[in-house]
Amino acid sequence: MGNLYHNKTAQWLAYAAFFAVLAIVPMRIDDDFLLNQLATYGVYGMLALSISLCWGFGGILNLGQGIAFGLGAYGMAMTMQMQTQTESNPIPPLMLNNGLDYLPMLWWPFANTGLGIVCAIAVPTLFCAIFGTIMFRARVSGPFFAIMTLAMLSAFYTIILDRQAYTGGVNGITPPSPLQFAGVEVDPYSPLAYWTVFFALMIATVLAKLITQSSFGLVTQAIRDDAERVRFLGYSVAGYETMIYTIAGLIAAVAGCLWVMLVQYVSPAQLDVGFSLSMVIWAAIGGRLSLVGAIVGAFVIQGAQSYLGDTFLSTWLLILGGFFIVIVRFLPNGLASLLEAALGLFATRKPKSSAESNGAEPVPAE
Amino acid sequence: MDFGSILNALILGVSIASIWLIAALGLTIIYGAAGVINMAHGELIMLGAYSSYMLQYYLGVPYLLCIPASFVIVALVGLILERGLIQYLYNRPLDTLLATYGVSLVLMQGVRLIFGSDPKYLAVPEIFSSNLSLGFLSISTFRVIVLLVTALLVLALWLLFYKTRFGVQVRAVMQNKEMAASFGINSSRVYMLTFALGAGLAGVAGSLFGVLNIVLPTMGASYVVQAFLMVVVGGGSLAGSVVASGVTGEMQSVFAFFTNDTFARFLIFVLIVVFLRFRPQGLFAKAGTRR
Amino acid sequence: MDFTRRKLLKTAGLASGALLAPHIWVPSEARAAALKKGEPLKVGVLFSLTGALAVPEEDSTLVLQYAFDEINKAGGVGGVPVEPVIVDAKSDFNVYSEKTKELILRDKVIAIFGCYTSASRKAILPTIMQRDHLLYYPTCYEGAECTQNTICTGPLANQHSKDLIPFMVQNFGKKVFFVGSNYVWPKESNKNAKIWLEQAGGELLGEEYIPLGSSEFGPVLNKIRDAKPNFIFSTVVGASDIAFHKQFKQEGFKVDQMPIASLTTGEIETRAMGAEFGAGHFLSAPYFQTLDNPTNQKFVEGFLKSPYGKNGTTHYNMEETYLSAYVFKSGFEKAAAAVGFENVTPRAIRDHSGGIRVEDAVSPEGLIWIDDQNFNTWLKPKIGQCQADGTFKIVKAADAQVAPDPYSIYPDIGVCTKDGLKAPDGKIRKNVI
Repeated sequence: MGNLYHNKTAQWLAYAAFFAVLAIVPMRIDDDFLLNQLATYGVYGMLALSISLCWGFGGILNLGQGIAFGLGAYGMAMTMQMQTQTESNPIPPLMLNNGLDYLPMLWWPFANTGLGIVCAIAVPTLFCAIFGTIMFRARVSGPFFAIMTLAMLSAFYTIILDRQAYTGGVNGITPPSPLQFAGVEVDPYSPLAYWTVFFALMIATVLAKLITQSSFGLVTQAIRDDAERVRFLGYSVAGYETMIYTIAGLIAAVAGCLWVMLVQYVSPAQLDVGFSLSMVIWAAIGGRLSLVGAIVGAFVIQGAQSYLGDTFLSTWLLILGGFFIVIVRFLPNGLASLLEAALGLFATRKPKSSAESNGAEPVPAE
Repeated sequence: MDFGSILNALILGVSIASIWLIAALGLTIIYGAAGVINMAHGELIMLGAYSSYMLQYYLGVPYLLCIPASFVIVALVGLILERGLIQYLYNRPLDTLLATYGVSLVLMQGVRLIFGSDPKYLAVPEIFSSNLSLGFLSISTFRVIVLLVTALLVLALWLLFYKTRFGVQVRAVMQNKEMAASFGINSSRVYMLTFALGAGLAGVAGSLFGVLNIVLPTMGASYVVQAFLMVVVGGGSLAGSVVASGVTGEMQSVFAFFTNDTFARFLIFVLIVVFLRFRPQGLFAKAGTRR
Repeated sequence: MDFTRRKLLKTAGLASGALLAPHIWVPSEARAAALKKGEPLKVGVLFSLTGALAVPEEDSTLVLQYAFDEINKAGGVGGVPVEPVIVDAKSDFNVYSEKTKELILRDKVIAIFGCYTSASRKAILPTIMQRDHLLYYPTCYEGAECTQNTICTGPLANQHSKDLIPFMVQNFGKKVFFVGSNYVWPKESNKNAKIWLEQAGGELLGEEYIPLGSSEFGPVLNKIRDAKPNFIFSTVVGASDIAFHKQFKQEGFKVDQMPIASLTTGEIETRAMGAEFGAGHFLSAPYFQTLDNPTNQKFVEGFLKSPYGKNGTTHYNMEETYLSAYVFKSGFEKAAAAVGFENVTPRAIRDHSGGIRVEDAVSPEGLIWIDDQNFNTWLKPKIGQCQADGTFKIVKAADAQVAPDPYSIYPDIGVCTKDGLKAPDGKIRKNVI
């Protein structure tokens, strides 16, 4: 048999095992902090997943994933803020403090919880669709697209800072109470919040996995490897690129909503260049060609930052940076490729199949 | 809106342009010649500022000598970086972007460990802390110095690339590495030297910025994105970067004159995105090979 | 079986919590964590030790360690030593939020000292409020906030510039130009400053905001040159502030003709820019290193000699942080006397902190006390002029402590009381942020 790593059944089994572990956690631990922390990592995992989908499978390096994440987060924060406003007190304090004595139109949809959440997810997705269409039609690709997303991210960051009366400026939006949804209060420390994130992550992962295995996914991977050839074969390269970029944006927008549900806070820092770059780091270290690898990357890096960061106080960034350099230099496909190589040792010798193994789905076990 | 104010804004625009340009020069060389997206460029600028600080504070070197000395020191750092890491990544442009981001983290934290996180400053001769005025026109002496240094560097680079044998080799490697190699050009050496040169230019920028601004381990981060945009808008050529910085510098100054600084920045980011939509190859792209 | 029972308990707890108090859910763990006599008292110290915010915040951490050492040597708080749990927020607001949760839920600290910026404070307040915990916020801020879980020892916007503006108008002239970093605190401070300016008969020629972290002051300085004010009122912060002062001089502005009156440019900043760029400008702050009183001399000497004094200076932000440790000590002891040591909770400390005084013998800036309604600090703002050596000469000190008023410019919104924000119609809302 071939490398178990490329066996589809084995991959699905590994996915199942990974999520089984995550599902057992809240039943086994009785620690609000850990639960909340793991849920936050789950959100970061979704971001890493979206980067893996877009970059690993689509070949589109997106350094501005913070746009979709941040806009989603802002939408959710606005919704939660409006939930705490009452009839007698209809305008959020942040506006009153900035001399606005009416609710700006920008905020109207968020007065309704359902509509607000829909907007929080739809607006960033739509943005990605439009931005993607414009850019990919113009055949912007590779490092150029990466720099463009960086410019766009900086533009959003700047305008959110500047329009303080509408966005809270650098202080951001701090909804004072947890999300109320369908009559239930989603306490950020409760198992309910954890399960919400868990299911979102699982659904996103399964969908992403199905996408990569579909014919659509195969074409995007072909575009990643050689866009010109695919174009000559008659495919609309721009259409495929826009699609995968938009799906990644959708996942990031949902992650943004969940993140605000967990921390009750959003600020322009979520659109900071450094944060978007760290999403790429998670995916790169875990393995951009492996969806679960990328998620694990987020868990490992964030976990290490939380638990080792204080031990190696002043050297932590040094370690992270060095680790990252080593990975990029020697393991371009991340930690997941270690597993691929390890499983490869057990594989019985077999002539390499004509299908390019590069695109097949690698999975690390958990 | 009197005439003098607008004229002052335009003159300031030239100065802002020179600051943007000198920050982008090194990146232009490195990107243009080797196709490497160097995310550690901001930190190389920071190293330039710190090397000037070090020379001045510990050895008492006069400021004007610190500028060329920073060039040498940072160029050496660039050389080590290229030999130790970048040379293995030339055929993986996105990976160089990521690896150099890792380098930037290491450099930033390394400097913080050595020098501490409190800000340092560069002392300059008293004459630089004044302004030149002519009627209603006014500009600070140091801005003129930055402008002159930038102009000199651009001239020197132009001579280097278009009038020397090394320049011919670099341009040959830029256009077609394999073909250049078959004519006996050692492309590895060319890459190494251009990378060191680009890093050195960042060092010069750093020793100038340390005077305008403040010397901090994090100071580089604010330059890297804008420097990149200049290079991308310019298309990776020297002339492109000059024009791109000139136009954006003027726009920054004029927009800020009519609105405010924050909004001016937003406008510039959006205009850059719109511009690249219509000319993704940048202003003056070399015909063909590299996109 | 075990897990089903536990889950059941959790769900039940959740339901009852939601029934009792829809907004503040008091967790079972927090109630269980009773204090024990003889065990050290854990407090959280949440500042950035790395990253862009490390410059001011590292000093805050150091001075708190110094203060707790001093308190412990003198017998501790309520008879037990204080054990600071020091964490690094890495200048990242996500980490501030995460570390707050860790301090409260894991380390079970009794109070948190932390944050230097409003943005980081806003990031952690939801957690602090939800857990009904206590934050000592030891620096200046804009106000317009009324929570039941914070105590602030720095000046509010309404105290900060009250004396500075009339002083500058009297000494330099009526015309002023406002420059600030583009965020909430400078804008709020300027709203207050405009009120004082109007009262002093001054004239505002222009108002400009620079993006945070920007170092390009050319356009702003050109506007100032055209406007020709008598002085500049600055709320520029951080590295930008240093670039501002340097470029001010480089562009040929003369400090004796047009000084900068700042709310931020203190001892650290002048040291970082080089004293020649700071000399002659003014700063309003409750504390200066050069304050001439025995308590301050003891504080400066003691601190600089201690292992925490490695950065070689004391400044207003550090002193406000130092005071917060003593406000905590008094508050805790008052609460312990009222409810018993074992039963002291963050809530109890805050409830007993109204009116706490830090006397001349302890406070380097002189007597201060905590307002018993809004829990900010009554203090005396002072005006200092930077000298050629980078120290400040006190040129004016307020005659009496100025009352803090977080809603001074928003009388229509309400008044901050100890129970919450009291709107003009008499309704009280808790935790308005």
